[in-house]
Amino acid sequence: MTKFKRIFAYVFLTIASIISIFPFLWMLISMTNKSIDVTRGSMLPGTQLLENIKNLFQTVDIVPAMVNSGIIALVTTVLALLIASLAGYGFEMFKSKKKDIIFNILLLSMMIPFAVLMVPLYRMFGSISQVMPFIGIDTLAAAFLPTITTAFLIFFFRQSAKMFPKEMIEAGRIDGLGEFGIFFRIFMPTMKTTYAAAAIITFMNSWNNYLWPLVILQSPDKQTIPLLISNLGAGYSPDYGVIMTAIVITTLPTALVFFFMQKHFVEGMMGSVK
Amino acid sequence: MSNRMKINATGWFFIAIATVVITLFYFYPMAQALILSFQSGLGANLSFVGFDNYIRLFHDPTFITAITNTFIYLLVQVPVMIVLGLFLSVLLNDKKLKFKGLFRTAIFLPVITSLVAYSVIFKYLFATDGVLNQFLVKFSIIPEAIEWLTDPFWAKVTIIIAITWRWTGYNMIFYLSALQNVDQSIYEAARIDGASAFKVFTRITIPMLKPIILFTSITSTIGTLQIFDEIMNITGGGPGNATTSISQYIYNLSFKYTPDFGYATAVSFVIVILIILFTALQFRVAGDKND
Amino acid sequence: MKKIIILLLAGIVLLSACSSGSDETSESGDNDEITAWAWDPKFNIAALELGEETYAAEDKEFNLKIIENAQDDIVQKLNTGLSSGTMKGMPNIVLIEDYRAQSFLQAYPDAFYDLSDHFNIDDFSDYKIEPTSFEGKHYGIPFDTGVVGLYLRTDYIEEAGYTMDDFNNITWDQFIEIGKDVKKKIGKPMMTLDPNDLGTIRMMIQTAGSWYLEDDGVTPNLAENEALKEAFRVYKEILDEDLAIITSDWSQMLAGFNDGKVVSVAQGNWITPSIKAEASQSGDWAVAPIPKLDVPKAVNASNLGGSSLYVLDVPGKEKAAEFLESTFGSDEDFYQDLVTDVGAIGTYTPATDGEAYKKEDEYFNDQAIVSDFSTWVDDIIGVNYGMHTYAIEDILIAEMQQYLDGQDIDDVMNDAQQQADAQLK
Repeated sequence: MTKFKRIFAYVFLTIASIISIFPFLWMLISMTNKSIDVTRGSMLPGTQLLENIKNLFQTVDIVPAMVNSGIIALVTTVLALLIASLAGYGFEMFKSKKKDIIFNILLLSMMIPFAVLMVPLYRMFGSISQVMPFIGIDTLAAAFLPTITTAFLIFFFRQSAKMFPKEMIEAGRIDGLGEFGIFFRIFMPTMKTTYAAAAIITFMNSWNNYLWPLVILQSPDKQTIPLLISNLGAGYSPDYGVIMTAIVITTLPTALVFFFMQKHFVEGMMGSVK
Repeated sequence: MSNRMKINATGWFFIAIATVVITLFYFYPMAQALILSFQSGLGANLSFVGFDNYIRLFHDPTFITAITNTFIYLLVQVPVMIVLGLFLSVLLNDKKLKFKGLFRTAIFLPVITSLVAYSVIFKYLFATDGVLNQFLVKFSIIPEAIEWLTDPFWAKVTIIIAITWRWTGYNMIFYLSALQNVDQSIYEAARIDGASAFKVFTRITIPMLKPIILFTSITSTIGTLQIFDEIMNITGGGPGNATTSISQYIYNLSFKYTPDFGYATAVSFVIVILIILFTALQFRVAGDKND
Repeated sequence: MKKIIILLLAGIVLLSACSSGSDETSESGDNDEITAWAWDPKFNIAALELGEETYAAEDKEFNLKIIENAQDDIVQKLNTGLSSGTMKGMPNIVLIEDYRAQSFLQAYPDAFYDLSDHFNIDDFSDYKIEPTSFEGKHYGIPFDTGVVGLYLRTDYIEEAGYTMDDFNNITWDQFIEIGKDVKKKIGKPMMTLDPNDLGTIRMMIQTAGSWYLEDDGVTPNLAENEALKEAFRVYKEILDEDLAIITSDWSQMLAGFNDGKVVSVAQGNWITPSIKAEASQSGDWAVAPIPKLDVPKAVNASNLGGSSLYVLDVPGKEKAAEFLESTFGSDEDFYQDLVTDVGAIGTYTPATDGEAYKKEDEYFNDQAIVSDFSTWVDDIIGVNYGMHTYAIEDILIAEMQQYLDGQDIDDVMNDAQQQADAQLK
């Protein structure tokens, strides 16, 4: 790359970064400000940080909500990655006419707005409550069950599997590995970055999921983070400083997940496995 | 032969769990929703009305506005975002680039920035007497302040900027992860042949990433056709209903007004049909052999 | 590979842990506990907590579990739950905004518990009856009033040469005249307006006893609605004369007066705590009666928001009804505490003679604002909010844009009427 192009890359990335970071930065600044300064959009750090943190912990039970959201997001991520990658791999590597039809039908499931599925789903969980109350209405399990596989993830894994060299599968079969052996020992480790990307996205979506947990979870001790933040902003005179503090604290887990996962995005992954 | 059958059977097992789960949690409720779309009434007082809900759609000015707006978002925003995301991920995939992790995290931050925070700051920045206007006027880029949130045209622009800002980093993640799976020796060969960076991008990177580009364009299309959060939080659909989207209308019909779930569901199935058409079109254009 | 197995195992352990955890709570949840859904911790929730405390003196066993949710969230949860037909997970008591009450009562007629025998509706402000009743039965115990006032910056108006008397029982046109003069003299606009929230319009038309719907609560009343047209005219004039700052959300509205950018605030009395949040303006505020529309029979009193308490037809309803009966339904002293401790003005008429209502407020230059608000409550003309307040409002928001762009008012309203008729048939 020429020097000019290099400079261009840095300048472009820096501008993009600044634009991207700006609201996040403001969020950080706002947690140190009084409510009134937040509504004024103040860009200057204030002295209210400790006060805001203290008020936050006094007014809401943020720790149990973090634990609930954490459980839901972790379980969802692990199960969704496993189930969806099995399926994505299966659809691509064991291609058949019938499976392709099924695949196309599955894609339909991400095309319908979730809002209209809620009433039938709620009714379904109402019936489940009669026989299996431990996964019925007002349980964490009910909050994550509908998200443990999504067509979105299956689609992503299938498209990624298209980039996976088929010779490696044949090589695995010659080595006497079973089909699951090939999946777990060759495909999974090779596609590490694909899993990393899927993990980031799934964790984040689950952590931020709002509509379904809102209707299915009732007890305060089952509250998740987005519901808690929604409540904080609900009054006639919300304290925006406290809200921003809550937002920053609850954004950290996703930021950390991202930061650690993106390290896997290093070049030459394929080379090292070959 | 028996070996092949065995592999075939295993293949079915791979997709079994996912198929069962999605059927249970999506298709079963979807079937019920479909039935609901032939019913009308407020709340629990429902009666069958045949295709009335679907006929009503064509005479509903709010629905027509919502669908027009949604298409404007789709046509402008999806191409811009995908090109930008691709471009950024290629820059960020450069071996010799310093502060890679920092840049990547920065550009991904909008994805995890809370919607609440970002809508407050967007409204503040884009207010008529806000920072953005002050800046643009001061440097004479524009003659007078733009009404970013209260003018029907500019409010749409603001929404498009907001969606692009929030979701470019999201798509970038998929490209970045895919770029790691591209065989480096192809690039080296191209470089030895003296191919320009632009040529490498169009002749190697894009074809190699085709499955993922197809994936992001389809999922972005679906996401944009269902756009809700940004509109609800930044403009609330206004001014008037200049920025309202189909999903916001569905939400209003189901929860803001006295619920008319039958009609709301009918509106949803129109989205489904549109998405199917777009998805089929994109598969066709990409020449992907999934069918 | 190992990592993945470990993660998987961890996932399964977590899964079983949380499902067994939920087991325990669902058992304890079936006790005598009464649940209530409400929003706003400082206001509604605080009021319910106060009720619980008061009632504990009568019944020590009583256990009220108050669950806090944003109002929109409650609406969504109720609609999903009630229309799915499973009452599981639904609360005993729920707070519903008066504008939305009929929509719930009529859409889910079997879901609510008749409270007619548990309180005397005549003890409450007249205008609260219509929203909380359906087919002659009273389902909601009226709670707070949304009685509105015109909050004024006394320092600003004095600077411009006016006194509070100039604002006493005026019309919106007089308000605009004064506003123009004030703007000329001190350069400050009168108020903030949010074009996406027609609360101001609602407040204006109720001064004339008019609403978006006919008295039946279903038929849209727009094309022939003189009060509504008048309100639109006033709204436009306020904007045309540059007497308002345009805002696009709640926080900007709050910042408008907290920052001293506007001369007045026309809102429900629940805005008081937000005004007082800016301590430096103590002594600079006073409250006048709300201006009225210049149409026959209009009064200088109106309402904005306000909500009432409902009991759902689920196990525990009798207990829930008894609790509401002996607190919100009949306890004068409780209402005194409500004013003093929570700042909530109820609509229970016998309580308005109490001490707490007469107290003067330092922040408002020793004006007895609660007492003033309660006087205005009596003048509010009751209207049937009906089922479609927000559906029609969304139509009007769009039409308002057309009107502001210069379209004729009759065309705008005819168009709105057509849309509403088509949508709400």
